[in-house]
Amino acid sequence: MLYKRVFQFFIIYFLFLGGLMVLKYSLALSDYVIPAPSGILHTLIAEYRGYSLATLNTMTVAIIGQILSVVIAFAIGITGRQSTWLGSFIKVAAYNFQAYPIVALAPILFILLGDGFLTRLLIAAMISYFPVLLSVLGIMSKPVDDIEHFYRVTGRMRWQLEVKIRTFENLTQLTTVIAGSATLAMAGTIVGEFIAANAGIGYNIRIALYQSDLGKILIALFLIGITIAIYQALLESLGVVIKRAWTGR
Amino acid sequence: MSLLCDNVAFTYPGAKHPLFTDVSFQLTAPGFHSFFGPSGVGKTSLAKIISGEIERSSGRVSTDGPATLLYSHNKERLPGWSGVGRHLTRVIPPSMQAGKDQLVEIFGLSDCITSRFDQLSMGQQNRVNLIRYLLQDCDLLIMDESLANVDERTREKIILAIKAMFPHRYYIYISHNVMEVAKFCDSILVFRSRGKTPQTVMVKGCNIMKSGDFSRNALDTTLLEIMNAV
Repeated sequence: MLYKRVFQFFIIYFLFLGGLMVLKYSLALSDYVIPAPSGILHTLIAEYRGYSLATLNTMTVAIIGQILSVVIAFAIGITGRQSTWLGSFIKVAAYNFQAYPIVALAPILFILLGDGFLTRLLIAAMISYFPVLLSVLGIMSKPVDDIEHFYRVTGRMRWQLEVKIRTFENLTQLTTVIAGSATLAMAGTIVGEFIAANAGIGYNIRIALYQSDLGKILIALFLIGITIAIYQALLESLGVVIKRAWTGR
Repeated sequence: MSLLCDNVAFTYPGAKHPLFTDVSFQLTAPGFHSFFGPSGVGKTSLAKIISGEIERSSGRVSTDGPATLLYSHNKERLPGWSGVGRHLTRVIPPSMQAGKDQLVEIFGLSDCITSRFDQLSMGQQNRVNLIRYLLQDCDLLIMDESLANVDERTREKIILAIKAMFPHRYYIYISHNVMEVAKFCDSILVFRSRGKTPQTVMVKGCNIMKSGDFSRNALDTTLLEIMNAV
């Protein structure tokens, strides 16, 4: 799974790079606009260490943010699964909140909380929570009648058991969504860093943008892509391990 | 306990015509009773009305005194995270645990008690599901095709064992096997084909308590009555 993910990323990245080179040489663009392969290699050697640390920094925030988003999504999904007034209120509030672009809300967080770790974390969590929430709400609102019937009619159904049954029956879907939301968590963190933070790969991309240094941006994209590919592969493997342990298959 | 259904009628939400109307019968003795008839005439719906799972019906369903009525069907599954034996131990009340091993043996499930539910055949799954319902504290158990996919000999063994082990309980057995309901049930509520009135007819069954203990003539008579009613 890991090798497949990394290999897929390499294909996409080098196709993209190849496209840029075709553009550069067909339109005779200068190295200032699109650097030559040797220039990109030089930038890689010069920036690789600093950018790797910055990417790891971003990844750490993204992982914590994603964990936070999964916790929030499950809390809202479990509370909002019921067809009560509170349940529907929570669902509507969660959807309405998502209607605002998080990028538009981010400045409020930076003004209130400054440009440190907490702000980046909240932005990452806010961006990645919605797809997880949609899945959790969908899964938790849909009864698994053929299993739950017995517990309901014999008076044994508790909310914890209901959540356990619905989670178990939709484990594949949940692990896929959680693995997919890793990309959003990373994107959210980078967006936050790009807007106003003082650390992380998004912050480095912002500096590279001000310097109009496409080489640095390409190296940053390479490191971001490979980190996400590895993280997603690890999440998918974790999902397989959990499923195997729980279902015995 | 006795069960009374008085002028029960039911229409699916949005349907133009009622599924059934004026269904009336009374069960006054414990044992096996049956709902029999073609598919789609309302056997399951009436069973759900009796157990309280369908509330939008007209007429009266009552018992003389408080009673626990359970409805089970053949599409139920056990959660996939634990083995069959462990699940049964957890969901059967302590007072009924003694009957578990006995039923597992009679139902022919001794070899698969450590397996997970999805590893069992459909017939085994239905038998496991039935065991956990049988070992609940209830006055009436509705078994909707609960022995589907089980071979005839095992079904007979199971029904006779249930009658012997739980003589004071009411059962409503829903099946499409006319021979089975005629042999083992005390009364059979036959749902007639659409357009016939009355929509249901009560037929007296042979109510066999021991294997082979029945009159061929009585069985033939019951079978004829059922087939004429349908």
